[in-house]
Amino acid sequence: MKRISKKAIALTMAGALALAACGGDDGGTDAPSTEAPSTEAPTTDAPTDTEAPADTEAPAAEAWAVNTDDCVDPDAANAPIEGSIKIGSAMPLSGGVAATAFAPVKDGFEAYVQWANENKILGDVTIEVQIEDDQYNKDLTPGAVEKLLDSGAHVFSGIIGSPNNAAVRDLLNEECYPQLLALTGSPEWGKAEEYPWTTGILIPYTVEARAYAALIKSQFPDGANVGVFVVNNEFGQVYAEAFKEIAPEFGITIVDEQTIEATDSAPPTAQVNSIASNAPDAILAVPLGAGCATFLGEVANAKAANAGWDPQVFITATCASSLILDLAGPAADGLYTSNNLVDVLDPETAAIPAIAEYIAFMEGLGKGDIVTTAGAGWHTAEMTVAILKQALESPEGLTRASIINAARNFDQVGTLTREGVRMKMNGLTDQFIAESLQVVQYDADTRLFTDIGELITDFES
Amino acid sequence: MWKIKEGSPQHWALRLVGVAVIFIAVIWVPTQMSTSRVGQFSDAFVLIVAAMSLNLVLGFTGMISIGHSAFFGLGGYTAAILIKDHGWSPGYTFYAAAAVAFVAGCVIALPALRIKGIYLALVTLAVAVLFPVLVKWKKLVWLTDGAKGIDSVRYDDLPVWPIIGELKGRDGRAVFAYWLAFVVLVITYLVCRGIVKSRFGRSLVAIRDNETAAAVMGVNVTAAKVLVFGISASLCATAGVLSTLRTGVITPEGQYVTLLGSIVFLLIMVVGGAGTLWGPIVGGLVYVWLDNTTRGFGSESDGFIGFLFGWADQSPATLILGVALVLIMFLAPYGLVGLFKRLWVKAVVVIPRPAGTPVAVQMAAETVAGDLR
Amino acid sequence: MERFFQYVFDGLSFGAIYALLALGLVVVYRGTGHLNFAQGEMAMFCTFLTWQYDAWGVPFVIAVLLGMISGFVMGAGTEVSLIRNVAKKSEAGVFVVSIALFLGLNSLAAMLWGNLPPEQMPSLFPDEPGDFARIFGAVWRYEYMGILLVALILMGLLFLLFSRTKFGLAMRSVASNPESARLVGIPTGVVLASSWGIAGAMGALAGTMFGATTGELTAGLMFTIFIYASAAATLGGFDSPGGAVIAGLAIGVGEQLAAGYAPGWIGQELRLGVALVIIFVVLLFKPSGLFGSVKVQRV
Repeated sequence: MKRISKKAIALTMAGALALAACGGDDGGTDAPSTEAPSTEAPTTDAPTDTEAPADTEAPAAEAWAVNTDDCVDPDAANAPIEGSIKIGSAMPLSGGVAATAFAPVKDGFEAYVQWANENKILGDVTIEVQIEDDQYNKDLTPGAVEKLLDSGAHVFSGIIGSPNNAAVRDLLNEECYPQLLALTGSPEWGKAEEYPWTTGILIPYTVEARAYAALIKSQFPDGANVGVFVVNNEFGQVYAEAFKEIAPEFGITIVDEQTIEATDSAPPTAQVNSIASNAPDAILAVPLGAGCATFLGEVANAKAANAGWDPQVFITATCASSLILDLAGPAADGLYTSNNLVDVLDPETAAIPAIAEYIAFMEGLGKGDIVTTAGAGWHTAEMTVAILKQALESPEGLTRASIINAARNFDQVGTLTREGVRMKMNGLTDQFIAESLQVVQYDADTRLFTDIGELITDFES
Repeated sequence: MWKIKEGSPQHWALRLVGVAVIFIAVIWVPTQMSTSRVGQFSDAFVLIVAAMSLNLVLGFTGMISIGHSAFFGLGGYTAAILIKDHGWSPGYTFYAAAAVAFVAGCVIALPALRIKGIYLALVTLAVAVLFPVLVKWKKLVWLTDGAKGIDSVRYDDLPVWPIIGELKGRDGRAVFAYWLAFVVLVITYLVCRGIVKSRFGRSLVAIRDNETAAAVMGVNVTAAKVLVFGISASLCATAGVLSTLRTGVITPEGQYVTLLGSIVFLLIMVVGGAGTLWGPIVGGLVYVWLDNTTRGFGSESDGFIGFLFGWADQSPATLILGVALVLIMFLAPYGLVGLFKRLWVKAVVVIPRPAGTPVAVQMAAETVAGDLR
Repeated sequence: MERFFQYVFDGLSFGAIYALLALGLVVVYRGTGHLNFAQGEMAMFCTFLTWQYDAWGVPFVIAVLLGMISGFVMGAGTEVSLIRNVAKKSEAGVFVVSIALFLGLNSLAAMLWGNLPPEQMPSLFPDEPGDFARIFGAVWRYEYMGILLVALILMGLLFLLFSRTKFGLAMRSVASNPESARLVGIPTGVVLASSWGIAGAMGALAGTMFGATTGELTAGLMFTIFIYASAAATLGGFDSPGGAVIAGLAIGVGEQLAAGYAPGWIGQELRLGVALVIIFVVLLFKPSGLFGSVKVQRV
């Protein structure tokens, strides 16, 4: 399955070492390809900031390039796309709780594409988007993708779910269609040698787990006892494995590990009671959706029953929305979580012109109520279009190959990214677009997050 | 109304037309239709195989099972583990999966010997719920990879077929999946048909209609029930292998591996017509068509659907599917095949030849009878 | 010992919720001989309705009553308009219709309330973090005590209904032989519709109380609970309200003890498995559940 040209491999041999560093100790220090970073300050003024043509030229010398020789139809992969480009995606739009959680992502995605067309981000090229419903069922994803291919999609972006992306990964790599920005945080989406056409957008769980471990160490320099509470699915399992692996490194002893089924809506009373009976210094929690508030409520109950026990609570970024945390009321006060996007409900943030424009645009579409949850969709679409723009401006023009090349040599900021966070990928050296994150603490009274420490960019290479 | 006699030339001609139509349709789909249609047909075939296997147990023997998703998953996992961990060629995993599921099916059938009706429904439901729980069990993670599941299970080198050419890329993959599923479907159909038309099949129907009476008449109820459950489980497992090979992924959260899978298989069987050989086939095609059509509404924000459901926070797909299922049950309480048969007898009546009469004698008798009339 | 009691209390808390929904299944089964797969989703939908009434400003207790009335209307309406017509023709049809209801109600709830800024479901009982009693060193929250109390009261009422009233007698005769029941002048239709109605109202109450413990309502609220509830009804015997409650509580306590005392082998992730294996074993010896009546089949 090696599809990268030998030249590219030779050029990035040294890069492979950095890749190891990327997932390992203290990545980022020895990245050999010091590609000229954007000359532009990472501001979040307006979405039009993403036009930074300077970005694309600098790394040209040793830029990663995809090899299209093994494609089913190499000519098609290099054929120019003119007039309009179609982005396809598969998301859960119906059937079950996943749809409720993710339906706003579709709205945000489509809203950005509409905005981009109105503002002519790709010049004369119109962007079309078609999102099929796979009900979060990996058995339906191939059918959805085949339907999109038949209807002329050029590029796929933002497919939700790890198994769903894995189910079409072979097909899209064989056909040489870019499968951009998979909306899952699995470390699977950083395998450019095996799957050059597939990339992710979320911060890998491994990176997030490491950030929390580092913060726990700084709070408990003499070592900490930690209770782990995870949802019993792919997300929770990968997260917990990552945390357990690095725990000794940070002087963390895991005293209890409890799980909850993803479909189980019952409060985790017994799980939290069990954790409480071990009285850990901190809890690392990886609940899902509605489970976030339910878990926090149980922690509050357990604290009331165990006087004197007041653990630090670290909760995964999927819960980092004041909409979700507000449900838990005072129980959410003081917890730690993380994010690489801004909180649009923060009035200060909402006043930033670009973000105000986003909110106004969503309100104009009658979707003002979902500005937070739709943000992930907007952000994904914005990054997709930024990749397309970079491809359009490349010497090859807009082709499927130039799109994936642009994606893997990418360094930009988005409207909704935090200040200082750069969305960047660099060939085999840096295969994850998002590895910077900010640990934040929630204040239940003001319903706002405050930054804790510096923005963590150590994991970028 | 058109009356024809069984075995008469007209009857044979009618059968021939039927076979020809099916034959042309089966060739037409992969050669003339778009990739996504081909894909939908192979998805339908997978579900049809599962529903057929369930029909054998529920439709013909009268033992309800809401646990067939477990056999589906067992087959899928057997294939995934053998291919990924043991380097098996995918083709052989069908046999292995069928064998494993046969044993599991026979074991699970043991309680079914004593438990009946609603209690059996719930016991098999427990099996369906238990399967993903066991797959995720920490003591089995070494084998199943837990909640993560197993991915990149693939046909590495799709075969080169003399007529169709190299099966690569999306067309090749879809066409390959189609033919693979079709072959499994035909084998499953033949197995079911063979059982149903045999002495064993008649004893199954006797058990369904009145178990005590069947036992009195000398049917070995225990052996028949255990055997049919085992066969059904192994057929369902081959459907699971097909599903794993199509997506290359199997996880304990996959819908067909969980309780929802059992429910889908049951829906297909009942909608098509329980206790008929063609029921699951018709039901599967209708279900997949309905499911794809209704899910398509989710990506439409304008048009009639948009006008009707513009207020909704989420796609109306499942609601419309539910309404459609209720309508089908009102129009065709015995399934679509039952409805078709009822309409068909209004047009054509096939007069069966009297049982046990040799053809020649019968034809002679009929000529005589005709003369007398 | 404190640990033991903690597991028992945790188990009783959840067991009471399983028991409540199981009671609804028993009522439908006793009245009509069907298993209603949509029982959990009906309860979920009515819980959202209760929440909606409350959000419109109706006092919470009234909102709960309105929710129960909605549940009764929904249950009886379903029986009259859908189930009855299909049940005459095919038993399998009832299954399809109840699955269709399951899918439809789930979808409709998500369509109506999916994007609402979610809000806390209020509780009928005190549910602040400090509202608990300490018994033998273990914690038992007032909220869960309340749910258990409601489950026991409802069990008693149903027992009286089944054994002491004409209606209960009518239910039994309709379930065993609808034809002869009609011949002796029992209003079969009313009996069938009201069994579904009673189950719907009880589901609404169960959902409302359970929703308050979770904090957030989703369309998936009752999915797992329904599985537990049908397990409880199976274990207790599908026609015995007392059996449903006892089995529900036993399953709750049993799974907590197993998960708590064998965290390495069982733990929380295999909790459900323990419950199901127990049923499996019990049914092998008592095919009609612990307290169910055995039906004699004639040739």
